[in-house]
Amino acid sequence: MRNLFAMARRIIHQIVRDKRTLALLIIAPLLILTLVWYIFGAKASEPNLAIIHYKSSDLLPAFKSADYERMSPLQARQSLADKKIDAYVDLKTPVKVHLEGSDPSRNGLAMSKIQKSMQAVQQINVKKMKTELTGAIQTQQKTIQAQQQTLRQMTEVMQRYAPSALATIMQNAPKGEKPHAAAAPEKVKLDVTYLHGNDDLNTFDSFGPAMVGIFVFLFIFMIGGVSFLRERTTGTLDRLMASPIKNYQIIWGYMIGFGLFVIVQSFILTCYIVYVLNIYDIGHLLDVLIIVFILSFSALSLSILLSTFASNELQMFQFIPLVIVPQVFLSGLFPIDTLPGWVRALGNLMPIHYSTEALRNIMIRGTGFSGWWFDGLILVLFSIVFIAINILVIRASRPVVD
Amino acid sequence: MNVSYPVKGEHLHKRFKNQIVLDDVSLTLQEGEIYGLIGPSGSGKTTLVRILLGLEKADSGNVELFEQRPTLNAFRSLGYMAQSDALYNELSAYQNLDFFASIQGMGGKEKKQRILEVAKSVDLEKDLKKNVAQFSGGMKRRLSLAAALVHSPRLYLLDEPTVGLDPMIRRNIWTLFHYLKGKGATIIVTTHVMDEVAQCDRVGLLSEGKIIAQGAPRDLMAQYGVPSVEEIFIAIEKEGAKK
Repeated sequence: MRNLFAMARRIIHQIVRDKRTLALLIIAPLLILTLVWYIFGAKASEPNLAIIHYKSSDLLPAFKSADYERMSPLQARQSLADKKIDAYVDLKTPVKVHLEGSDPSRNGLAMSKIQKSMQAVQQINVKKMKTELTGAIQTQQKTIQAQQQTLRQMTEVMQRYAPSALATIMQNAPKGEKPHAAAAPEKVKLDVTYLHGNDDLNTFDSFGPAMVGIFVFLFIFMIGGVSFLRERTTGTLDRLMASPIKNYQIIWGYMIGFGLFVIVQSFILTCYIVYVLNIYDIGHLLDVLIIVFILSFSALSLSILLSTFASNELQMFQFIPLVIVPQVFLSGLFPIDTLPGWVRALGNLMPIHYSTEALRNIMIRGTGFSGWWFDGLILVLFSIVFIAINILVIRASRPVVD
Repeated sequence: MNVSYPVKGEHLHKRFKNQIVLDDVSLTLQEGEIYGLIGPSGSGKTTLVRILLGLEKADSGNVELFEQRPTLNAFRSLGYMAQSDALYNELSAYQNLDFFASIQGMGGKEKKQRILEVAKSVDLEKDLKKNVAQFSGGMKRRLSLAAALVHSPRLYLLDEPTVGLDPMIRRNIWTLFHYLKGKGATIIVTTHVMDEVAQCDRVGLLSEGKIIAQGAPRDLMAQYGVPSVEEIFIAIEKEGAKK
């Protein structure tokens, strides 16, 4: 036990005395997250749109002048080419849309705006049909009234000359039903409800949980890996091996030393994005911290393992494109449902994938323990496997009888 | 008489890929002697020390520490100093010694006292609070030696302990070795410096993975009829050429 704490204490001393590393671990993630927050959290600007051939069109009311500039066809084409507008709508029937098209996100914005206007267009069309129908019905009603007038006169005549025949006719006549009251006009606007989140949820809110995982993993991976690598290259590991310290004490000493530090780091990081950047979070802070903590354990144990295969710092950093970058892409930052099976299987082997899932459940869906225990468990399993391999690797290089 | 053997290596073989590093090396140290392991670089000195320590596995052969298979417990009585300084640069000298003393099971007042004592013996007591990163090469070397001494082991394995030190400090360190020997410690030291060889009780000459000669320096010089240990290598080579 004493050896374990001596190891842990030494690692904490090392981190605390190395101000640069300390700054990297704490300030760098905050800085990058702030940047990401600005980039993804900003509301997208309104698309610039125009209409042409509007003068003779009765669809004009659907395209408010605040949203759509009025242009001549030539003007519109020119502005589109100059990227002054994102799209223009040709109001000649059938209605046509011309998009600038080079930026998919702008395309999407323009299209969703135009589609909203098209709903108004439909309303206009419906109204037009309604007035036409009402006209037709009114003429029919007039005809019917005229016919009823004739009938009444005929009945009077019959009552006078053949009352018995009239009675028979009245008995056999089908009973006319009263016309239904006109149905209430249907609402055209959609009612939208959210099972999770709300319509203020922006890209940063859904990226946030993945980002927390990625940064914690990345920085712990770098610093943990290099720190253990140095132990190997400077020869201090040999000194440890030539001392009575046990194999598991070396590895667990690292885990505890960095672990205490990770608690501080993940606490600051989580508080920052929740309270300063105001990320959408309806879950418990403690749940978030637990997941981040377990994740960093797997990052640390994996980095110690990989440092075995590196002979200097550069080689350690060469693992980043191999280990970190794929995790970023398969973490759930981007949808992976449509990827080929083997890529998804690869994603299932990545710790950040599980932390993202768990953190989304906690922060956005607000589920408690039931929503993250499984992902948490898998992260714990990752760590246990990596730690076990680490201990075996050290044992293999130490031919001493325990 | 009960003679104990702090270190014993028997028929050690070691090869890296195609290169034979150790070829049937046997070595027994007697308690309380300073044993010098000399030989040109690449002759397998460091590998031999590492195998005796249990840091590396020999392909075949046996190693015994204190007359038993090496155990973690035996390491408590063993001080090791590698060719590299093996210090934590971010920490102060005191924190370094404190850590190495702690993992050797020391604690409390005893540890504190011992750290000061050891620092004094390598002339670093005024620099204990400094960061190791600010140390000169010689200071690091001395601190590294102090870290090997801090738990007062009975057996020292020192790989080039005096390399890069100026003559004054080197002499002080050898005085320290004799003092430790006087207290009953056994020391195995690898070296290049020939005037240090003369201070060893016994030397082993290692060449191409073999111990080609072993004995007290004076006896060896007499045996080969040469005035210095250095020339024993040349004499043996000549002998080999004659055959």
